[in-house]
Amino acid sequence: MAVDTPVAPEKVLEEQKSTHRDHGWNVVVWNDPVNLMSYVTLVLRKLFGHDHSTAHKLMLQVHEEGKAIVAMQPREQAEISVAHLHAFGLQATLARP
Amino acid sequence: MAQVLHRRGRVQLRLDIHEREALLHVLDELMPLVGQALHQAPRAYEDDQHQAEFDRWVRPDIEKGRDTDIEGMRESLASGEDTIVLTEPTAYSWLRAMNHLRLAAGASLGIDDDTWDTRMDAAQRDRSEFRMMTLLSWLQEEFVAALEA
Repeated sequence: MAVDTPVAPEKVLEEQKSTHRDHGWNVVVWNDPVNLMSYVTLVLRKLFGHDHSTAHKLMLQVHEEGKAIVAMQPREQAEISVAHLHAFGLQATLARP
Repeated sequence: MAQVLHRRGRVQLRLDIHEREALLHVLDELMPLVGQALHQAPRAYEDDQHQAEFDRWVRPDIEKGRDTDIEGMRESLASGEDTIVLTEPTAYSWLRAMNHLRLAAGASLGIDDDTWDTRMDAAQRDRSEFRMMTLLSWLQEEFVAALEA
């Protein structure tokens, strides 16, 4: 029968921080002057499963404020999302909050 | 006049020969500009090291996909069919292709802020890139409306 080895508190804390970081990457879409507003809305719906109202609000935030956080995901997933956004021709970055 | 409809999970595009030829001409004219625009690819990370990894491992697939999208659109247009039926994934591929071309036209026109439409003078509006961008904008809006329906 296996016996659990005690884990140092500082290691637990570090793992918790790591887990928090991994789940906390923002996917940010930036305004650009060429992409059509209707197109941006559709892309946000397609990639993130937002309903039309949510996607439209995010698109307006991008347009009026210059950027919007459209998703918060683990880093690997956030990077895939940014790659998809780039493939659709949108300006997008990922960053820790 | 071109027509885009969404029926039973597929997008149906009706184009007469003149419209198909016009779009093929747009593809031929703007493709070299798409190549130039690739050098202005957007960043994914602020951090330079992360960005270098992204450029090495992810960027090539994005650029390959861009070429595939545009070539797929060209092949469909060159098929000679008045009615082109696209699966939904292929319709999104067309959307991306049209957007790559629009972005290339916009870069060529020097569009760099949201006020460009009010600042653009008659000479700029007379440029072929502007007319091509206008045509693509219209067709892209039709696709979006069909996919939203």
